[in-house]
Amino acid sequence: MSLLGSVSTMALQASTIIRPAAEVDTDESGYITAHPFFPDRAEWLYGGLAFLIVAGLLWKYGGPAMKDALAKRSDRIGKEIDDAAAAKSAATTEAAQIRQAKGDIAAERTRLLAEADHQAAAVLAEGEARLEQELADLEARSLAEIAAVRNRVGDELRSEIARLSTAAVDHVVTGSLDDATHQELIESFISRVGAAR
Amino acid sequence: MSDNRIDGYARALFEIARAEGTIDEVEDELFRFARSYETSDELRNALTDEQIPAARRQAIVEDLLGGKATATTTQLVSMVIGSGRGRDLPAIVDKLVARASSSKHLELAEVRSAVALTADQETRLAAALANATGKQVNLKVVVDPSVLGGLVATIGDTVIDGSVRTRIDQLKSRL
Repeated sequence: MSLLGSVSTMALQASTIIRPAAEVDTDESGYITAHPFFPDRAEWLYGGLAFLIVAGLLWKYGGPAMKDALAKRSDRIGKEIDDAAAAKSAATTEAAQIRQAKGDIAAERTRLLAEADHQAAAVLAEGEARLEQELADLEARSLAEIAAVRNRVGDELRSEIARLSTAAVDHVVTGSLDDATHQELIESFISRVGAAR
Repeated sequence: MSDNRIDGYARALFEIARAEGTIDEVEDELFRFARSYETSDELRNALTDEQIPAARRQAIVEDLLGGKATATTTQLVSMVIGSGRGRDLPAIVDKLVARASSSKHLELAEVRSAVALTADQETRLAAALANATGKQVNLKVVVDPSVLGGLVATIGDTVIDGSVRTRIDQLKSRL
């Protein structure tokens, strides 16, 4: 009996089992001719042989392909595992680089900030010093100019006073020199010279 | 003109005036004319202008001095001007006056005054100067308005300055 036959038999037996009792095939004595679960020994034998044949065929013809497919799958999975490991390693390396770069960036940022602070402080100090110097120069120049102007104004004032005084003296003296004064001056001169010896 | 030539003219004028017997008047008149000549640019330019004929210049002199000075003085000045020595007239006259003073053993005393002195004042001034210097002086008074007032006496190298001008100048210097 072939495997298909056994199967069909088993399906027939199963349908027999689930048939109502009135429809079950019975022999003349009214007993059921086949066990619903345990076939006959021949069916066991034929079924076992068919199974072995099918299993052998499967083993012979399907085994290498399956084995090859499984090997390929194993290789693919291994490769994927390796790739994942490499990717993980690369990612780890990149992460380390990123962390290092981040650290470097932070250090560089700190350095740049410190340098900027230093330069700003230097520029500020230089600017303050320059401004103080310019302020001092400006103050000194202003004081010198004030002194010069004061001296010049003083000189001009003194000169003007002298000029006006001279003009006033000339005017007053000339105006006051009448004949009597002339005679008095002459007599005074004669007396003074005569008394000198 | 060289000093020798000025001396020559002065000596000649002196001898002429002394020969005329008018040395005192001539000396005095020449001195006064020389001072006026120094202070008057117009007169000096007229009497030293070579473009004006000598006769014309001499005529100017005679017009100026005629009747105001002795004839000897007029002639002597006219002679100097006519000979083209007008520029040296003050120096010639100064030499002449110095020679005249020396001949009389007197020291020339030039006195500048803003106003004219009276004869009495001149006499007393001469006496005062003689007393001050210890020498008899030949007093020559020059009226110089620039003095303003008082007197300035120059005897040799000695200057006695009592002028208002000098006092004003000193005051100006102080100012």
